[in-house]
Amino acid sequence: MSASQQLTPTNPNSALKIRLAYRFLLTLNTLNAKKPPNFDHTQIHRRSHRVKIAAYASMASVVGPKRAWSRAILWKIRNRGMLARNKKRIHRISTPIRLHRHHARRRRNPNRVVHVDPFVNSGLEVKLRKLVPGAETIDPCGLLDETADYIKYLATQVEVMRNLVDLYSTI
Amino acid sequence: MSSRRSRSRQSAASMITDDQINDLVSKLHQLLPEIRNRCSDKVSATRVLQETCSYIRSLHREVDDLSERLSELLDNTDSTQASIIRSLLMQ
Repeated sequence: MSASQQLTPTNPNSALKIRLAYRFLLTLNTLNAKKPPNFDHTQIHRRSHRVKIAAYASMASVVGPKRAWSRAILWKIRNRGMLARNKKRIHRISTPIRLHRHHARRRRNPNRVVHVDPFVNSGLEVKLRKLVPGAETIDPCGLLDETADYIKYLATQVEVMRNLVDLYSTI
Repeated sequence: MSSRRSRSRQSAASMITDDQINDLVSKLHQLLPEIRNRCSDKVSATRVLQETCSYIRSLHREVDDLSERLSELLDNTDSTQASIIRSLLMQ
């Protein structure tokens, strides 16, 4: 009997938790298989960084390419070697704009005039665009939608990790 | 307002109504843990967005903290127990 048959989720949130937990453990597994056991202090910091990357990567891959934030996370993780090398250079490759070509086309529409602005204080919009990954080139309406989706998945991922920490600390 | 009426005649792809914005803001507001306990009817959009920003920041901090604890625990756990857990979940 597979694990998916044993667990019958009664609400969509727990189904989401199960998917996130499964994916996260899978990613952690491949992460643990590679690393050699060591107790150096610098290695500890690097390991926690790898766990963090595994958390974001598994969260984004459960969603897939359907959302701008998941696409941005996956792109950032896959290219983090290149990004680290380019950080020292002055000019940065603006690849987030390349990914959202269809959004850029929408913005060039001459008929589109945004009369409604939910961000009365534009300082908040800038902050939100920095916090949500891949949100720099989205229109304000889509930005709220992406934020809501991102918060939902991020909160569930945090709950999964908390449960894992509890599980591992009691064994 | 006349501008709103003329905007409704524009193409569907660019129509952003007040109701849509309010729906999104209220949907966001439902996800936030703190405001939910208090009176949830009259919350301004600005407040919702401020709470959203601080909530996302706190979630990021918690992910960092939890991943640090998790990496420590994964080292200390006996490898046979970890493989038992793994095999239970991979069935």
